[in-house]
Amino acid sequence: MNEIITSAISESTMDKLHILADSAKYDVACTSSGVDRKGQEGMLGNAKGCGICHSFGADGRCISLLKILMTNHCEYDCKYCINRKSNDIPRATFEPDELCQLVVEFYKRNYIEGLFLSSGVLKSPTYTMERMCEVLLMLRTKYRFNGYIHVKTIPGAGDDLLAVAGYLADRMSVNMELPTVESLKKLAPNKSFETILNPMSKIQSTISEHRLAIGKSSRMERAKGNRLLENSIFNQSRLEKKPDYYAGEEGLFIESNSIGEGIKLPTVSPRLILPGKEAVLSKADKLNRAFAPAGQSTQMIIGASDENDFNLIQTTQQLYQTYDLKRVFYSAYIPINEDSGLPSLDTPLPLLREHRLYQADFLMRYYGFRANELLSEEMPNFHTEIDPKCEWAIRHLEQFPVEVEKASYEILLRIPGIGPKSAMRIVNSRRYGHLSFESLKKMGVVLKRAHFFITCGGKQMYKTPIEQKYIFKQITSFEYKDNWKISHSNENYRQMNLFDDFGLSV
Amino acid sequence: MTVFSCADDFSAMMTCIYEAWSSRLGHDNVKLVREPIHQLELFTDYVHVEADSEKTESVVRSINQKISKGAYMWTFYASLSHEEDALDTIYRFLVLGFRYGACICQMLQNPVVMRMMELRRNVGNEAHLFVEFSRFTSINNGIYVSHIEPKNNCLISVANHFADRMISEYWIIMDDNRNLAAVHLPNEEFYIRNLTEDEATQLKMTEQFRDGFVAMWEEYFNTIAIKQRVNPVCQRNHFPEWMRKHAVEFLQSK
Repeated sequence: MNEIITSAISESTMDKLHILADSAKYDVACTSSGVDRKGQEGMLGNAKGCGICHSFGADGRCISLLKILMTNHCEYDCKYCINRKSNDIPRATFEPDELCQLVVEFYKRNYIEGLFLSSGVLKSPTYTMERMCEVLLMLRTKYRFNGYIHVKTIPGAGDDLLAVAGYLADRMSVNMELPTVESLKKLAPNKSFETILNPMSKIQSTISEHRLAIGKSSRMERAKGNRLLENSIFNQSRLEKKPDYYAGEEGLFIESNSIGEGIKLPTVSPRLILPGKEAVLSKADKLNRAFAPAGQSTQMIIGASDENDFNLIQTTQQLYQTYDLKRVFYSAYIPINEDSGLPSLDTPLPLLREHRLYQADFLMRYYGFRANELLSEEMPNFHTEIDPKCEWAIRHLEQFPVEVEKASYEILLRIPGIGPKSAMRIVNSRRYGHLSFESLKKMGVVLKRAHFFITCGGKQMYKTPIEQKYIFKQITSFEYKDNWKISHSNENYRQMNLFDDFGLSV
Repeated sequence: MTVFSCADDFSAMMTCIYEAWSSRLGHDNVKLVREPIHQLELFTDYVHVEADSEKTESVVRSINQKISKGAYMWTFYASLSHEEDALDTIYRFLVLGFRYGACICQMLQNPVVMRMMELRRNVGNEAHLFVEFSRFTSINNGIYVSHIEPKNNCLISVANHFADRMISEYWIIMDDNRNLAAVHLPNEEFYIRNLTEDEATQLKMTEQFRDGFVAMWEEYFNTIAIKQRVNPVCQRNHFPEWMRKHAVEFLQSK
């Protein structure tokens, strides 16, 4: 394999890497999960369903993929974005060979699990997407790379190119960025809801067609526990009864009939779409890859526009149900640009809000909660002092205390302090003998939260009243410190110094 | 009390279990430990057991047939643990396993089973962390060498992952604490080798190699963090400091 590759790495590669990584860092998703693929002789790499993080940056975010832009030249002028046309920043573009070699060499050293390729809009969406597909194709054929690839689609690129990208990548994503039509118009004037939801829906129907063709179910796999949850947002029988079940959930943002549902991407051969690359592309037809086997994801910016949490989690739930997304990511808005439509530069990052939204997202994907159970029109935002699950439990004290030796998996999951793993352990082990608080603790139940809500063998751990005010006060008293840490985690304190801070000299 | 002791490898441990069982002293009157034994106890007999392949096989067969494949996986993983009570826990676990059968792996309210689960989980988790955090150095443009210093003996698990991931490459993963190396040739099965002192010192020198890609990785690593979100506590939670010894991106500041 070595003879065909001459080094494309030059002195300028380092600078390009710096510029293009710097521009890519605000993208959130960096996961390598969702697809299991064995290694093949003569190829490099495999993929693990659980995903593998390779490092953690100074901000504590995982580094799993080489998250990079192909170019940070951009025709668009989205107000919140660092790469917008009107910003004066250094710009660069990778050569396809250069980028491929970086990926392969990083991969062999176990620095990364694959490539996360995004890009600014160079010339036109179609031209940009063509260049991106070229990189992916080269990586899969010339460099025989079998690892994980996540590709961000450029809104407005042609369907043919979307299809090519899907055949070459594992996961695709289209960024929602903003959850409502109004805020999108205001902050991203060149994008529209159609250009975002249209590809999303096409990708979804193509994925499900491919899944059916190889004998899987049409919808993506979800956490196993969901099968036991009657109320889960992924519950098949409830999804099918769409009309009456949607009727109960008002105020949805995406009107699903406005977008062409069920339209599939064309079946294409990469060779026809990217002309002039025959030498490289002749192998491409033999690739025989599944279409985006790890599904698609999206991300939304939190705090740049004035949506409330209820809007956000409702949109999220609908994205999971209608478009069968694998993940929805949230990103706390970081003020980098100055603009009248944006929050001012000294706005604190809404880190705790982002944290609460992720908590809610997990409650929906793993715990069988629905958006309208967690929040409502009357109570549109999450509590700052207490997490969404505890809050739900305190509002529904009539269902507690729960006897852990008898309660169903579904009920156990609703107890604060018990998660999918510990609930499953409880369900499995109690068939063979009694449980005690000691063993519950060892099984991973967080008793400091759970003990208010459970009995074990008919007894509470301590004699505590099942009373809203009391439990709220108890829980917030020890959660206070953690919450403070999350919302202030990015601040560094140091002791004031007379000499540095007040300019004294000896 | 009789203490059965053996070397720290799987076969010896299985033989030790076989001997302790067939001694018919009663389960409460035996204790199993791995060597070296640091402190001898009074009023205790010590029996040293050597590895025996036939007895190992018979123990493994019994576990698979009379308990379950899952229980065998637990036993194997727990045997890689660095905890002192690992071997004795395995013995107690098997005693229960032969009584209750396949359901033993779910009886977590039993302290022995719970301890066994913790041992197995600890080994599995550590192996996964080293799959994530081991770094390879490229020597002579084509041989990749990695050094790890795990607490548990999880080299096999880690190497197994890379045997699939880099199936057509030459690579070596060395466990610096135990002087073991997993060696892999393109398109072949890897093997584990006990290194001599000389080989070990020579292999350790590979870490001084640096090429352009190391510098580029450091650059990438430093660039990708968002300054406004810096959070060292979160970073330490995910990537503990003791695991950073061989991760190139953390060595630059020293």
